[in-house]
Amino acid sequence: MGSEIALELKKVTKKFKGTNVISEMDLKIKNGEFLVLLGPSGCGKSTTLRMMAGLEKPSDGQIMIAGKDSQKISSVERNIAMVFQDYALYPNMTVYQNLEYALKIHKVEKEERKRRLEKILETLNLAAYRDRLPGQLSGGQKQRVALGRGMAKKSSIFLLDEPLSNIDVQLREKARDEIQNLHEKNQQTIVYVTHDQLEAMALGDRIAIINEGKIQMIDTPDNIYNHPANLFVAQFVGTPQMNILEVNYQKEMLTLNERPLFFNTEHLKNMELSEGNLYLGIRPEHIIVKRKQEISLELPARVDQVIDYGRYQQLTLNIGKRQTIKAIITNNEFKNDDLVYVLLSEKRALFFDHASKKNVDA
Amino acid sequence: MNKFREGGWHILLLLICLVLLLPVVFMISNSFKTLQDSYHSMLQIIPLHPTFSNYTTLGRQIDLLRLIWNTFFMAAIVTLGKLITGLFAAYAFKYFSFKGKKWIYLIFVSTIFVPFTVIMIPNYLVISKINLLNTAPGVALPQMCDATGIMLFLKAMDKIPKSLIESLKIDGISSHMILKDIIIPILRPSIISIGAIFFINSWNEYVWPTLILKDKSSFTLPLALQNYISSEGGTNFPLAMALSTIMIIVPLFIYLIFQRYILNSISNSGLK
Repeated sequence: MGSEIALELKKVTKKFKGTNVISEMDLKIKNGEFLVLLGPSGCGKSTTLRMMAGLEKPSDGQIMIAGKDSQKISSVERNIAMVFQDYALYPNMTVYQNLEYALKIHKVEKEERKRRLEKILETLNLAAYRDRLPGQLSGGQKQRVALGRGMAKKSSIFLLDEPLSNIDVQLREKARDEIQNLHEKNQQTIVYVTHDQLEAMALGDRIAIINEGKIQMIDTPDNIYNHPANLFVAQFVGTPQMNILEVNYQKEMLTLNERPLFFNTEHLKNMELSEGNLYLGIRPEHIIVKRKQEISLELPARVDQVIDYGRYQQLTLNIGKRQTIKAIITNNEFKNDDLVYVLLSEKRALFFDHASKKNVDA
Repeated sequence: MNKFREGGWHILLLLICLVLLLPVVFMISNSFKTLQDSYHSMLQIIPLHPTFSNYTTLGRQIDLLRLIWNTFFMAAIVTLGKLITGLFAAYAFKYFSFKGKKWIYLIFVSTIFVPFTVIMIPNYLVISKINLLNTAPGVALPQMCDATGIMLFLKAMDKIPKSLIESLKIDGISSHMILKDIIIPILRPSIISIGAIFFINSWNEYVWPTLILKDKSSFTLPLALQNYISSEGGTNFPLAMALSTIMIIVPLFIYLIFQRYILNSISNSGLK
């Protein structure tokens, strides 16, 4: 352990006015790792980040930075850089002065300062703007200055709080790639807060999904998407959302609204499902929609809505009893009110326990 | 209809301007009249026999430069004192958490509602006990702190994003460096405008300095003016008007130089 782990949360609890915002959170972040904290607004992800930065004190538990209790060390020793959502640039200083200020205060040699900053200005494509004030920069440029200011510190841990949310959509992808490139180049430990799942998927080595002050799942983007630990994760990640159907499993038979669903019994047996009600989760892209029924167990459905996104079409299908599911297709052959048949790709179906809402397979 | 209403407002505002400006115009015009003219045609705006004699008489009777310097010096000390204490106090109230902060702030702000006449005598007694009667520090000392200033600075600091200060703290910048390098430069326009208002107020101050200052050599302009309109100084109005005209020159310049900041901060602070 020790040097392996850059940052560790040990049973960290944060209370605001008596209510737990964060409850007994445990988290280990490895050196050089890019960890994304993802969750809906108000889930506690920003509070977690602010505690890591030392801006908030945990009500209970410990935050260890490189093996030392963060409460007991100074901000210099903590050696953390943070980029804020609104960039927090010093409005009275030029780009160069913004980058230089903290270094100057901490008495980094002038030559060294210059060498470091020139390199950063060049990497971030800011050399031409060095003498501009923050007020004269665009959102994307400000964001790069904020990044640069964090880099200039050469801190071991870099915290980013929704750094891309104030940038135009067109520039966001570019900025995202920049952050990724910087991480690849510098191998800094990064903790990145966002509510945007695409950003999280694109950037994170691991993603921690947080809801109601608890980590719901922490894993690689691939596992989060394909093997969600519980219903919340399953529904939170992926657009359109994963379809969740309440099904019943009895005598090796899976039924939806008392109608048997087509499923390979062999496959079901391997899942070792317990009998009773269950939630079945299936992603829209794993639903096959057909005109003609080929197997009698395919679900009949009516097309309620077709949204054409160009690259793909999103169908809302009514499967009776006011239940709808969403499917994604690419051949654009259906219209509203078409009668179709739906086949769920059985190998992609996930099952969640009815009571605990946990993935049965996990 | 809308145009009509707008026109109505314009006329009203013009009338108000006129009401405010007329006394100033009379002051200036009377300062260029002879004593006789000022009695016979007080309301005549253009003097019948314009004369500069009132100013030269003043120059002979009193040490004008000394008076201006005394007033300027006093106003400058008071302004500086109010700015420094106001900034520090607002900074502490805004960015530090300490026990009883809310109450202390409430007590500070409530002093705004205490009329000067109520604390005049206690203040006088204190100043006399510490032997500062008849001195400039005696006048300045009780005015070095002003809750209005604290309130205005707090308002101005509200506009500085919280993340800015947090970012500085994460970078290990000390509180006094944050104040010196970030807060004060950002607040510069507010500081200038609040300072200008403090300066003009203190330049015009009359009651408190009369209590403390007895020696004519330490008089400020408002005190000297009193000599020309009280019974003991006779009733030479043109002379008094000339001195008044001299008195408004410095505040007028200060206002003209800083008017951009002053108007901005008044319209931003919700004080209008």
